[in-house]
Amino acid sequence: MSKPTEQERGPSPRARDHVCRGYRRRAEFVAEAREFLAEGLAAGERVLYVAPGDEAALTGQLREDGRCGEGLDSGAVQVASVDAAYPTGTVVDPAGQVAVYAAATSEALSAGFTGLRVAADATSLVRTPAQVDAFARYEHLVDHYMAAHPMAAMCGYDVGELGGEVVAQLACMHPCASEGATPFHLHGHGRDGSAAALDGDLDLESRGLWPLALERAGLRASAGTIAIDAAGLGFVDHRSLFELADYAERHATTVVLRTRLTTPARLVELLGLPGVRVERAA
Amino acid sequence: MSAARGYDHAAVHYTSDAELLAVAVPFLEGGLTAGEPTLVSLEPERAELVRDALPSSAPVDFLVTGDLYARPAAAIRSYRELMAGLVAGGAAGIRIFGEIPQAAIDSSWDRWARYESAVNHAYDQFPLRSICAYDTRTTPRHVLDDVARTHPFVATPGGGHHTNAGYVDPLSFLAVQRPMTPLPIELTAPLAELADPRPSAARRAVTAVAPAALADGELDDLVLAVSEIVDNALRHGRPPVRMRIWADAGHVVVTVHDTGAGPDDPFAGLLPADRRVGGRGLWIAHQVCAQVTLHHDDTGFTVRLVVGRLPVQAQRG
Repeated sequence: MSKPTEQERGPSPRARDHVCRGYRRRAEFVAEAREFLAEGLAAGERVLYVAPGDEAALTGQLREDGRCGEGLDSGAVQVASVDAAYPTGTVVDPAGQVAVYAAATSEALSAGFTGLRVAADATSLVRTPAQVDAFARYEHLVDHYMAAHPMAAMCGYDVGELGGEVVAQLACMHPCASEGATPFHLHGHGRDGSAAALDGDLDLESRGLWPLALERAGLRASAGTIAIDAAGLGFVDHRSLFELADYAERHATTVVLRTRLTTPARLVELLGLPGVRVERAA
Repeated sequence: MSAARGYDHAAVHYTSDAELLAVAVPFLEGGLTAGEPTLVSLEPERAELVRDALPSSAPVDFLVTGDLYARPAAAIRSYRELMAGLVAGGAAGIRIFGEIPQAAIDSSWDRWARYESAVNHAYDQFPLRSICAYDTRTTPRHVLDDVARTHPFVATPGGGHHTNAGYVDPLSFLAVQRPMTPLPIELTAPLAELADPRPSAARRAVTAVAPAALADGELDDLVLAVSEIVDNALRHGRPPVRMRIWADAGHVVVTVHDTGAGPDDPFAGLLPADRRVGGRGLWIAHQVCAQVTLHHDDTGFTVRLVVGRLPVQAQRG
């Protein structure tokens, strides 16, 4: 029998509330967004749908679902045109964008809702490398906010238009993503005061993605070390640990990897990586 | 003769305990007189013999050979770390009198022959004098032939130290391809065969067939090694890449073959490659697997990894 105080394995259930959906056809995303938002309505949340097109079109998409239709009538559902909100080429300010959603979450709570749930098609916000860079930073930062506050989001990206590599750069900053979108997740749903959480596999498939994600996550040191909750890490190869050691060196810090795997400690010892320490995850 | 810098690597061929001691004792006492760290790594029986022949107060370190000689690449790493520590502590010279354990000679001499050759390079940065002892009564002829090619000096009783005319430079010695004898289990049908696997698929396949008898740590080590070797094959090799897995209750054998030429570094796997040149995958595999064999032939390059315990009659090869 498990004790009530026992830690849960892997990301917390709430980590499923920030999900990245890479879609091939827009209709796929619209259908999934409706379902996602309807779940929020059932839980007493205010929901927001952000997508390309005018508000009438967006409202029309939601009305196909009776539950969303009721929410539209009651005022629990809001819609926003991504084109109207963000001029073409907008490079988001990650912290500013998080502040916007934090205010919206507070407003929803003040208005008597249990939280805020957003379904957003962000394809038009990640069309240039500078936009991708800023938005990936935002995705990680907002995940930290969501881990601590009653906000949930489904972020849609058009894989056909953006390409799998770009979507992977965004997907890996979410705790949850479409099957095959990214080999790992570097997100904010960490435990025990860690700077971030790390799930999935780090190997050949994550070669370019991993150092990018590390830089973009803007991990904050505490008492000179950056602790990563890697309880959900399934594999890490030596080149990925080299990347982690390089990161530690660039930032003049020590990274502590909290993992259940036995091989990272062995590799760190064999390779003599100065900036990386491995601890046994709870 | 004094070797202030660089590695002075000698062999002694002895035919009796008296002859062994006639070489070992003056060598070790010379080290003690010079104030050098002086070490012995012999199997227990001969370690006792040497211990009894030295003054009881002699500060000679006796190393435990079993772990040290578990695998050649790990022995190189351990000795290099040991010597780096001694030099950092101020040692101007180091002496080691040692032997390759009989079990290692019997089970996997080809790998230890490579060790004996590679250390001429791998230890050359240390002020080391060592003598490797081989008992001509029990050591097979082909082993003694390799000993003659891998030791630049020969030690004789009473402190004799002679240049060995038969010595072959490690680059030449290691370049000679030795046959890779299939292990008995390789003559059976593999449990799994994968074409051009991604590392993740390779890891899953190994985990799926690994016997329960394998310790957790051993399975993790094999999964790591397989992932690194498949990564190498995809990165440096030529497709198609073919991976095969065999397993029984006690051991797992994995081969990864590609149609490329394989690494051209003769020290590949024995010494870590420069990080800016390549990865450390092959070296890591050599550190964590019970046995690693590299083989080049007309069809390409093969890495064979073994974890667990090989059946005794199957260890040669």
